Amino acid sequence: MKSLQIPLETATLANGLRVVVAPDATAPVVTVGVYYKIGFRLEPQGRSGFAHLFEHMMFQGSENAPKMQHIKLINSSGGVLNGSTMYDVTNYYEAVPSNALERVLWLEADRMRALKVDDENLRNQRDVVKEEVRVNVMNQPYGGFPWLDMPPVAFRNWANAHNFYGDFADLDAASLVDVQKFFRAYYVPNNAVLLMLGDVDRKEGLALAEKYFGTIPAGAAPPFANPAEPPQTEERRGNVEEKFGTLPAMAYVLPKRRSAEWYAMALLDQALHGGRAGRIHRELMLEKQIAVEADGGIDDLFGYNGPAQMTTRILHKPEYTAEQTLEAFDAVVREVREKGIGPEELEQIKVKWRSDYYSTLEGGRGGYMPRYGLMHLLACFTLFDNEPQLVNSILDGFLKVKPEDVQAAAKKYLQPANRAIVFRTTVAKNEKEAT
Amino acid sequence: MATRAPELAAGVPALTAERAVTWPKRTHARLSNGLQVVLAEAHSIPKFHGELFFRAGEALISDRAVGLAELTATVLRTGTNARTSRQIEEDLRRLGADLGASAGQDTSAISFAGLSEFAEPLLRLVNELAREAAFPDAEFERERRQKLEEVKLERTSPGFLASERLRKVLFGAHPYAKISPSEAKLAAYKRDDLVTVYREIYTPENALLVLVGDFDPQAMLKLAESVFGSWAGKKPAAKPTPALPQFHGRRVYLVHNPGSVQTQILAGCHAITRKNPDWIPLGLTNSLYGGAFNSRLVMNIREDKGYTYSPRSGVSPLREHGYFSVSAAVRNDVVAASLTEIFYEIDKLRSVPVPEPELADAQNYLSGVFSLGLATQEGLLTQFATSALHELPDDYLETYRDKVRALKPADLLAMARKYFDSANMQIVVVGDRTQIEEQASLFGEVEVYDNQGQRLG
Repeated sequence: MKSLQIPLETATLANGLRVVVAPDATAPVVTVGVYYKIGFRLEPQGRSGFAHLFEHMMFQGSENAPKMQHIKLINSSGGVLNGSTMYDVTNYYEAVPSNALERVLWLEADRMRALKVDDENLRNQRDVVKEEVRVNVMNQPYGGFPWLDMPPVAFRNWANAHNFYGDFADLDAASLVDVQKFFRAYYVPNNAVLLMLGDVDRKEGLALAEKYFGTIPAGAAPPFANPAEPPQTEERRGNVEEKFGTLPAMAYVLPKRRSAEWYAMALLDQALHGGRAGRIHRELMLEKQIAVEADGGIDDLFGYNGPAQMTTRILHKPEYTAEQTLEAFDAVVREVREKGIGPEELEQIKVKWRSDYYSTLEGGRGGYMPRYGLMHLLACFTLFDNEPQLVNSILDGFLKVKPEDVQAAAKKYLQPANRAIVFRTTVAKNEKEAT
Repeated sequence: MATRAPELAAGVPALTAERAVTWPKRTHARLSNGLQVVLAEAHSIPKFHGELFFRAGEALISDRAVGLAELTATVLRTGTNARTSRQIEEDLRRLGADLGASAGQDTSAISFAGLSEFAEPLLRLVNELAREAAFPDAEFERERRQKLEEVKLERTSPGFLASERLRKVLFGAHPYAKISPSEAKLAAYKRDDLVTVYREIYTPENALLVLVGDFDPQAMLKLAESVFGSWAGKKPAAKPTPALPQFHGRRVYLVHNPGSVQTQILAGCHAITRKNPDWIPLGLTNSLYGGAFNSRLVMNIREDKGYTYSPRSGVSPLREHGYFSVSAAVRNDVVAASLTEIFYEIDKLRSVPVPEPELADAQNYLSGVFSLGLATQEGLLTQFATSALHELPDDYLETYRDKVRALKPADLLAMARKYFDSANMQIVVVGDRTQIEEQASLFGEVEVYDNQGQRLG
C-alpha cells in the first residue's frame, strides 16, 4: 500500500495570521485560500443570512481594489476564484497560473486590511442573494431540503437552528454599519489562515505572506457565541410544506470532533450511505424498492466545529407513505445496532475511505479547482485543531477502527433521542414542532 | 445602460515570468482488435482515472427510442454473467473504486477511478461490464421504474424545461431535438431493446479507452491488451440525419409554470462543432460575452443591476452540430429588462470592436484556466478524451494557448456577427404566464406550452 505524504511549511505571523504552504511543482498552478473562522452558525441574532451576504460583500471592493477588481484581476491572470460560507468558516480562494501568486496575495491582503463598500453595493448584492435563494430553494423541487429545513427542528440553540440563507426581512434590515462591524470583529488576521498550495517554493511562500500580510494590524479576539446544545431527551419531529411531493429526512447528531467515536461514526456513515454498496441504498432502492432517491450522510466531516449531523434524505415512490419509508429506514438502523458490521464489510469500507481521501486532497471541487480539498482540510485542521499536520496522519485514525467500535457508535448514536425527523409534506399545516 | 468599466487599482503587483505549461506525454495505441487507447502518467495521488468511450449514444437510436442509450448504460452495471449487482458494488468498494456508466447524444461511456494497486481487477471488471453485461430482468424493471420517477420529477425543474424546449426548437426533426423520453415511451421499453442497443454500440472498434494516473504506461498498455485484446466487434453503421430548421426573426416559447417565483430565460441559435476552425475564436468571444464571471453579461445583469444570481452563456458542441445559448434565472418583474440587456450586449459585440485591454484580459483568462486542469488526473482525462473523441489535431492542447493569444478585435467582431445571431435568436422563458407573457411578447410572437410540452396558445 502506497501512502501519500504532503510536505508542509507552517508559520504564524506577528499579527496572529497562520500560514500554511504545501509546495508541489508538478504543474505551474497555485491554489491560494484565506479562511476566516466565522460561518453562518455564529452570525448575529436578528441578522440571519448575514455571514453569507457578507461573503458577497467581500467581492465588492476593498481599500485599494474597487468593486469588480478582485474578479477582474484574477480572471485576467488566467485564474478562477470563489468564496463560500459554511457553518464555522468562510473561505475565499483562487486557483491561478503560478506567475500570478503575488497578485493574488496582494488582493487577499487588501481585503483583509479594509473593506470599502457603499450602500449601492449592499443593495445590489442583497438582490443577487435573493435571486440565489429563489433559484436554489424556492424555485427548485425539494430546494434546500433538508439543509435549511432540518436545523430548526433538530436544534434548540439559535446558533444552530436559524435559517442560514436568511429571512428576507433580516436581509433587508442589514446595514453598512453591520457590514463594517462584522468585518472588524471577525475578519482580523488573528482569526484567519492563509494557504498556498502547488507551484510555490516553501521559503518564498512564507516570505510573501510576511510581505503582503505582515503589516495588517491584529484585532481583538473575536467574540464567539457558545454553540452548545442543551441535552436532547427524545426524538424531535417537524413538518414543512412541499408543493412537489412528500419525503422525510432523518438526522443524527455526531460524536465530538476527533473523539474515538467520531472516527467510528465516519465509517458507520459509509456503511450506511457509501454509494450503491451502502446499506441504505441497497435496502431502500435495490431490495425493497421504496425509494426513488435515498442518499445523504455526513457532508463535510472535517469542516464542523460545533454540533453536526449525519442526515439521510429519502424520496419515496408515491405508493408508499412517509411512515412506511421511515419504517424501512429504521429496519436498516436496527440491524446495524443489533448486529454491527462484519470485518469484511469494514475492510472494504476502509479501502474506499483511503481512496476517497486521496481524491479529496487532489481535487474535491471539479477538474478546474486543484487542491480544493487539501486547502479545506488544512484550513480546518489549523483553525479548529491548531494542527495542520493532521492532514498526513488523520487517515490512520480511521484505518484502525474495529468492527466493535462501529457497533458501539451505532448503539450510542443511532437512537431516537439523538435524532430529528423532518417530513416534507403537501399537507397545508405547517407545524414547526410536533413533539 | 453601458456596462461600467472598473477603475484600475494602483499598486497591483505585475505578473512574474510565466512557467511553461507542459502537458504530460500521451501514449497512443491501438489494440489488436481495433480498440483505440490513450495513456498518460500523472502521479499526483496513488490512483488512476479511466474512461471507456463508445462513439454512439442517443442520436444513433433516436428513431427507435429516446433515452434508451442512457437506460442501457444504467442497467449495464447491475449484473454480468459472472457477478450479481450486489457483488459488483461490493467489489468496487473492495478496490477503492468509483464507477459510472452513462450515455449522451454522441457517446456512451463507462468511467472509473481507483487505487493504482488494484488497477488489474478494476480493468477486468470494466471489461466484464463492456462485454458480458447480463441485463437481469428484475434489475431492468427496477431501473425503468426508477427512471419513470426521474422523468416525472424533471418536469418540475425550470432548467430542464427550458433546455428541453430550446433543443426542440433548434433541432426540429434531427435526433438532437429530443433530450428525454415521455412516461409512455419509457413504459413501453423492453429488456431486449437494451440488449440490442448494447450489442450495437458496445464494440471495440467503436471504442476509445483513456487512462490517466499513477502507473507505468508500457505496463498499463500490456495490461489493457491482456484484458481487452480478445474482444471482437464492428462499429455500427452511421445514419444520415435531417437538416436543421432555419429561422427568420425571433420567436418566444413560454413554458407555463404556475406560481413560479422566478423566470428561467434560455435563448439560443445554431453554432459550430469543436472541429470547426472557428471553435477557438468563438470560445474567446463567448468567454468575453457571458462565459466567465468577469464577462460583460455578468457585470451587467448581476453586478450592475442585480437581476440574477448566475447568468451565463456557452457554446454546446455536439458531434454533428453546435449551438450557442445564454441563460439567466431572473425576477419575474425584470424579464423584459433582462432580455433587453442580453441582446444589448450581443448587439454591442456585433457592432463595436472589443477594446484591446479587455481582449487581453479575456485571452489571459481562457489560456490560464485551460492549464488549471493539468493538476488533477480527472482534469487531464477530460482534456485527452475531448481531443481524441472530437478528432482534434495531435497538438491541439499544446497550441491552444498560442492560438487564443493570437486573436485580434476584428476576429471577435467577425465571430459575433457570424454566430451570435441576434436577429434570429429563439427565446425560451419558463415561468408564470400571467406574470411574464406581456413582457415576453415584446421580443417576438409567443407560443405557450405547459410543462408536459403541450401547446396552450
